[in-house]
Amino acid sequence: MRGWLSTGIRLPLIALAVALAAYPLLLGNAYSFRLATLAGVYALLAIGYQLIFGYAGALSLAQGCFFGIGAYVSAILASRLGWGFLLSFPLSLAAPVALAAVVALPALRLESHYLALATLGVAQVALLAAVNWQGLTGGANGIAGIPPIALFGARVPDGSSLMLVVWLLAAAGAFLAWHLMRGLYGRMFHLMRENDIAAAALGIDRARLRLAAFLLSALYAGAAGALYAHSEGVISPGALEFPVMVACLAMAVIGGSARVSGAILGAVLLVHLPEWLRVLERSYLIAYGAALLVVIIAAPWGLIGALERLRARLLPELPPEPPAPRLMTRRTRASAEAARLLEVEGLAIAFGGLKALDGITLSVRPGELLGLIGPNGSGKTTLVNVVSGLYRPSAGRIRFAGQDITETAAYRRARLGLARSFQSTSLVAEMTALDSVALGRAALEGTGLASALASGWRCAHLARARGHAMALLDGLGIAAFAARSCGELPHGIKRRVEIARALALEPRLLILDEPAAGLGASEAADLRGRLERLAQGGLTLLVIEHNMPFLMPLVERMICLDDGRLIAEGKPAEIRGHPRVIEAYLGRTARAGVRQ
Amino acid sequence: MELLQLTIDGVSLGAAYALVALGFVLVLNATGAVNFAAGDLVMAGGFTAVALAEAFPLPGLALLPLVLLLMAALGLVFSLLAYFPLMRRPPTAVFISTIALGVILQNAANAIFGAAPRKAPALLGEHLYHLGGLSIGRQSLAIVAVAAALVLAQHLLFARTQLGRSLRATAQDRETAEALGIPTLRMIALTFMLAAALAGAAGLLLANRYFVEPTRGNELIVSAYMAVVIGGWGSLPGAVLAALLIALFQVIVSAYASYTTATALLYAVLLAALVLRPKGLFGEAIGRRV
Repeated sequence: MRGWLSTGIRLPLIALAVALAAYPLLLGNAYSFRLATLAGVYALLAIGYQLIFGYAGALSLAQGCFFGIGAYVSAILASRLGWGFLLSFPLSLAAPVALAAVVALPALRLESHYLALATLGVAQVALLAAVNWQGLTGGANGIAGIPPIALFGARVPDGSSLMLVVWLLAAAGAFLAWHLMRGLYGRMFHLMRENDIAAAALGIDRARLRLAAFLLSALYAGAAGALYAHSEGVISPGALEFPVMVACLAMAVIGGSARVSGAILGAVLLVHLPEWLRVLERSYLIAYGAALLVVIIAAPWGLIGALERLRARLLPELPPEPPAPRLMTRRTRASAEAARLLEVEGLAIAFGGLKALDGITLSVRPGELLGLIGPNGSGKTTLVNVVSGLYRPSAGRIRFAGQDITETAAYRRARLGLARSFQSTSLVAEMTALDSVALGRAALEGTGLASALASGWRCAHLARARGHAMALLDGLGIAAFAARSCGELPHGIKRRVEIARALALEPRLLILDEPAAGLGASEAADLRGRLERLAQGGLTLLVIEHNMPFLMPLVERMICLDDGRLIAEGKPAEIRGHPRVIEAYLGRTARAGVRQ
Repeated sequence: MELLQLTIDGVSLGAAYALVALGFVLVLNATGAVNFAAGDLVMAGGFTAVALAEAFPLPGLALLPLVLLLMAALGLVFSLLAYFPLMRRPPTAVFISTIALGVILQNAANAIFGAAPRKAPALLGEHLYHLGGLSIGRQSLAIVAVAAALVLAQHLLFARTQLGRSLRATAQDRETAEALGIPTLRMIALTFMLAAALAGAAGLLLANRYFVEPTRGNELIVSAYMAVVIGGWGSLPGAVLAALLIALFQVIVSAYASYTTATALLYAVLLAALVLRPKGLFGEAIGRRV
């Protein structure tokens, strides 16, 4: 029997936590308590940063700024206005969150390098304001005489009591972050980080995930800042300077990104580093920089990642028991669905003068099996990209299930039931096949922060999604691979995992982009049989394929594209002999040859 | 008249900014990565000039070739540490490695030179020309002249020489350049050397009038980064022009309001520009092959 303790790296983590707790207690002097308190403060800061940087994969450079703002708000409210901790603390959290919300509006839609600049700019302005707004912030001297934390009239004394309070809050923050990210929600972040287009195709709204992570990161930073102000008693613009940000980044990276435990370990180590490297005196920051550089080059997974790898190599774990397959139908199939499920009219798009699509008009009936063929570069994948919302057409309309979706975002189209697979694999290498497919349930289980929090101790959403995923894997004949990481799956299995993932959306229309590419004849035939069975269940399919022996018997109708234009349409037998199709594939002379 | 005076000051500051931004874009185009230590390389150049001036009490212009040379060597070391080990990883990894190197540079400077601001010699001695009501420092004119000469030299190198064509080919499409027999790795290393040399020159130019201190790079990277975003991600002339505009804006608004107001306003303009023309978003996310 597998115990809870022996799963993953829980045992070494607990041992580590005990050792880290014992260190200040055994030393038992005021200085060791102070360092441990500071480590708790930084742990909160780094856990928050882990959410936006580690999980959301967005390089925010505002975490130090949010920390400083939280500290200043606490200092001003407590020292200048004499407010109690229970009043000032929530406001110290709210202020950076409010600022984050303002910055997020433009910044979070941006690619990583723009986000870095936008957040860096905020930090710079906040620092200048702290230095120059003397009346409020005390200018370069800062604010002194910040009272210690007082709870219900009793002051928390310095030393072990303060350390305990700070670490209790850090533990609560750690638990919240860990719980949030251990279920389906955390896996959405993982997919978005690795492949945001695949995430959108599953109905996951990248902007919303990033917003939630960004606001949460500000919340944690504000809490850390407030605790810092109260425990230090003084605050200066140094709290807003770049070294705080660098320290936080180094903690997240060195500890192990996308791991809450990594943030805590990084914080404890880096806070004690100057202590252990006393020889370096004030240049210990050089050691920070060097450690960051070494880890990012040699071990980008960080210390916790290294521990996990070590465990996997030395004591490989048995894969967990696969869940019982259980289909959970969520989407009701509209009885009076439109006569045409998908209608595309006059669709056109050009890339720098090259007309990739030039006036495509086609439609798909509910329950139909439609094949889309055409030579390489004829615009098949471009058409799928436009229909699924990755590209905006320059002209034309798209209607899906009676709705005009021409302007609709890709993730919303997926939620309407328009699913697709990708030509090149879009799976996350480290994720199991089961969880990859479970992610297809994200849109139906809820992709919001609230739904993640409501998911409960047992992560009900993930459990349901896995049950459904298991049934789909079974249906495609690959249940045996459920617990394997996608990166180690053979090509043909990967294709099926992707199909299963798209099916998990309970799509009204499933678009497959070359599902049989690279498959052997028997494998392709088996896949065809399974797709036919799905179609009998009422699924509508649009299949792009070059493999004619696979496609011809599968579909009822075929469309051929050439040079971005629709050149032929009809039953497979008609298309096979269609002169324009032969010309498109083989060229004019070949066509003449066929005639003779 | 006051505005004219400020414009002259702004142009001379902007000329130095332009060199920083230029180095930033050259590395960006060659590697696809942000060099976050661009500002710290300027600081390193400033301190190199300060140290050289202590050893050889010569005018700044005479020290310039030596600063360029030493900084190019630093650029090579920089690329070996921050870029080449990470070249097959996502650009964020390089971003972080350059942050790390920036921290190392800052604190090394702090350990060697101390935290106090230091001053490098003027390019051609300090002298004020009076022209009507204007007073123009010889240093300001020399900064503009030297920066213009370096920008021109970079342009000619890229536009007119075989080496420049190889550098551009590497930046445009590394795989194709590789296939054509261009030693792309050497070209990238050379780009880092060039960028560091330009940053070093900017350090020498700035360290007289504006002094140099270990944390100086922090503001400079924000300005350079902004210039590259406003000028169009990856555009060389855009970066130079935007750097000039940013410096003018900073100098003029600082004079009438305050440096804080100027920086906050500049930042607001930047955010607005990003909202209205989020080129990065559409340019990259959609251009990716799926």
